[in-house]
Amino acid sequence: MASAVSTFTKIGKVIRLNRHGCTNRPFYHIVVQNTKDNQDGPVIEQVGSFDAMPNNKNEKLVALNFERIQYWLAQGAGLSDPVAQLLGLSGFLPNHPRTLIQAWKNRREPPRERKIEAIKGIAPPLDNPKL
Amino acid sequence: MHGNGRRRERDCKKKVGREKKFFAVSKLQHFIMFGSSGSRVLNVINISYLQSRSKRVWVRKPLGSPMAKSKIFRITPKPVIPEDEKAEMKRLFDNYKNSMKSLRQYFFEQSLKQAESGEVAQMKHRLEDQEHERLMEENRLENEKTAMLREERLKIQAEKTQKNVLASLIKKEREAKQHEIQIEDFLTKQMSTPFIQPENIEKAIEDALANPVNFNFALDLDGYVYRGKETSIDMIPEEKRERLNSN
Repeated sequence: MASAVSTFTKIGKVIRLNRHGCTNRPFYHIVVQNTKDNQDGPVIEQVGSFDAMPNNKNEKLVALNFERIQYWLAQGAGLSDPVAQLLGLSGFLPNHPRTLIQAWKNRREPPRERKIEAIKGIAPPLDNPKL
Repeated sequence: MHGNGRRRERDCKKKVGREKKFFAVSKLQHFIMFGSSGSRVLNVINISYLQSRSKRVWVRKPLGSPMAKSKIFRITPKPVIPEDEKAEMKRLFDNYKNSMKSLRQYFFEQSLKQAESGEVAQMKHRLEDQEHERLMEENRLENEKTAMLREERLKIQAEKTQKNVLASLIKKEREAKQHEIQIEDFLTKQMSTPFIQPENIEKAIEDALANPVNFNFALDLDGYVYRGKETSIDMIPEEKRERLNSN
């Protein structure tokens, strides 16, 4: 099906996660890289970070530089699926279908036991005195 | 956040430990190791050389090694996805792709707009305008200069051509006059020569018949000329004899 919007030329660059943690402690940088470079390889620009391990408030912290991400998307950089999901959850882009599919699969399955209670509804106000 | 930092530090220590252990493994069991770029780094025993210490090294079974014995008969079941769910997934992905395309286009247009409206861009525009004005002024001055030069040149050229034309006219007139004189001379000459006219043709014929002219002549070895039908030197009187001189 032909689309009204013209396709973007690929520039061989992609926004993706680089694992920067240690064993059993995942931590990711969200970076712009040439498609053929790997995790160790040169990074063009870091546009955010993602702490995949929930903290004591049961939060996974994500930092994103929307301006730069917008710039790179406009340039025609690709998006890896996990980053696309994060951006969808952050409200910057439409929700990635993978998120929705995972959600309905989770709903179908019996709930797993959790060590920490999941936050439901609006998150409670921050109680860190330093903030 | 402080807790996280501490944890990270501890994990880093752990990482160092892991690396040491991994050295031991590589020495003992001589695994084939692959660098992060996929190239073979080592497959020889007792080499503690790594391509780069800072890079992660991937340790795994050699390519082409057989499946583990315990896993030979394990067949992973193919995931069963209902048709309606498949269709829904396809719809979602198509929608996502389309919206991403539009968003990219939107971001691109935004970037263009921003590039035009920024202070730097405006400054650039202004500078470009100034430069353009300056160049146009320069061009105008140059044009004026060349126009002046051209006018002068054309004036001189016009004078020159006028002079030339006048000179050529005078020359032509003179030549025409001379030609006329020549023609007159020629005509008078022609008129003076006695042509045979229809009135005196009878007389001319009679004269011609009366005085036949023989143009034939002969030469002898001494150079004497014999005109007409004369054949002997003795027949010609002394004063009428002609002789060609060989010099």
